[in-house]
Amino acid sequence: MTANLLPLLLMVPALLLLGVVFLWPWAHYSWLSIHASSLLTGLRAIPNGGANWQRLVQDGRFWQDAFQTLRFAGVSVALELGLGLLTALILHRPSKGRGVLRALVLIPWALPGTVMALGWRWILNDPHGPLNALLQALGGGTYPFLASPATTWWFVVLADVWKTTPFVAIILLAGLQSIPRDLEEALRLEGAGVWSIFRRLQLPLLTPYLGLALLFRLAQAFGVFDLIQILTGGGPAGSTESLASYAYLQAIRFLDFGYSATLMLATFLILLTLSLLWLGGMRWSGVRR
Amino acid sequence: MMRLLLLCWSLFPLLWQLRTSFLVGDALVGEGGGSPWTLQNYRLVLEGDPSLGRVLLNSAILGLVTTALTLMLAVPCAYGLHQLKGRWQPAISMGLVGAALFPTVLFFLSLLQLARWFGLANHLLALTLPYAGLSLPLAILLLRAAIHDLPPDLEDAARLDGLNPLQRLRWIVTPLLAPAMASTGLLVFLASWNEYPIALTWLSRSDRLTLPAAMGRIASSSVYAIPYGPYAAATVLGSLPLLLVVLIFQRWIISGLTQGAVKG
Repeated sequence: MTANLLPLLLMVPALLLLGVVFLWPWAHYSWLSIHASSLLTGLRAIPNGGANWQRLVQDGRFWQDAFQTLRFAGVSVALELGLGLLTALILHRPSKGRGVLRALVLIPWALPGTVMALGWRWILNDPHGPLNALLQALGGGTYPFLASPATTWWFVVLADVWKTTPFVAIILLAGLQSIPRDLEEALRLEGAGVWSIFRRLQLPLLTPYLGLALLFRLAQAFGVFDLIQILTGGGPAGSTESLASYAYLQAIRFLDFGYSATLMLATFLILLTLSLLWLGGMRWSGVRR
Repeated sequence: MMRLLLLCWSLFPLLWQLRTSFLVGDALVGEGGGSPWTLQNYRLVLEGDPSLGRVLLNSAILGLVTTALTLMLAVPCAYGLHQLKGRWQPAISMGLVGAALFPTVLFFLSLLQLARWFGLANHLLALTLPYAGLSLPLAILLLRAAIHDLPPDLEDAARLDGLNPLQRLRWIVTPLLAPAMASTGLLVFLASWNEYPIALTWLSRSDRLTLPAAMGRIASSSVYAIPYGPYAAATVLGSLPLLLVVLIFQRWIISGLTQGAVKG
């Protein structure tokens, strides 16, 4: 124990801050979620048993947002993995100016989500945005990209895919570059084509990188907030609202802190369940192999 | 061919914003005669309330102080974690990985409560506390991986010379960590520069806004008749500093990201 004393002392300041930021909120939310704390109670917390949770179960908007959040996360992460893999393979091929290309491709990821969400709002503008100008030039009519409850979520996915694919690509590129060149050469000498090298060598060795990118992106996409807030505000007709933006609305617009905390706990529980399923799945596939 | 396509896809939205930012409002909706080109949009956002120059300065100060604070906390912690023996080390590491993956937007309400209790709202530098806290898990993991990769002989030699662990951290480990600190610091800076929900809830005075918070305010109010010209000018000015950072430091950023993937 004495051997560990100094290391622990060195860690104390960081661990204290981590505790305040990452652990305390859960205690706070748990406490708030069994209290009524809103404008109606004069912002004082009054114990109300399980009323918040009862309301959650009956709240159609919560279930709709949970579905929309899962749909957004699933579809956008699937697209990001596919396109990220493609991008990584393109960047992996030796060529002149690869470093510059890699830096330029990384730009969408590095820019603030809020800034580019504003940019996409103009690109998707009806009728003056460039995308609609293109449609008109091709002889079609304009399309309400951000005002159609059935399809607008696809364009939120588009903006997210544009922004986060570079991140996935860089992770996968690191995976590709960790594969010894000799192995690739050996397969090529055997007469294996690009596709065959990819199938037999690169894809199997990339699996852990794909798994990591998948887990990280799913967790982040599940908390999508900036993009929705700026691009659509959750509309039209709530069709792009996410769990995080609903919880934000309850707290800041409706000043219902008890219910907002309940929503955030529920979001966390859904995310935790998904992560445990993912870990179980990884372990199961590991055992099988 | 594929490369060109990739480049167009990555840069098109940005280039379109650049073009839009120089157009007069009438040209944007396809009307008006005369020259469509103007610098008016830039004047509007630079002289507006909040002024974009002020906003960029706020973001830069906040980012730099956050980065310094994060590294000051993370380096000793990573070193301590590296030295720690027994069951604690894997447990703390696992916790840090979980925290690094977590979508931090879910903490905004509790953090806002803390800001109210301690009167931190509208203090720009108070934001460094939650920002450093949220960045710590990734920073500690990256730095610990870097410490793990240092040649062990160096520290052994220093130990034989009679340096105690604190002296070794200060004089042997920290200088050798400079490259890892650079790439970690860049990731922390980017995260702080881009953070939205906490800035949105902590800051209301327009002279204190950070870039994302100002973007949010611009998006929700349209004080301009056809606001997309000024919007575009704001996105261009907001992107430029970051573009420079990425192009100059891309090697460090990519090595930080890659380390995170390999060691995490």
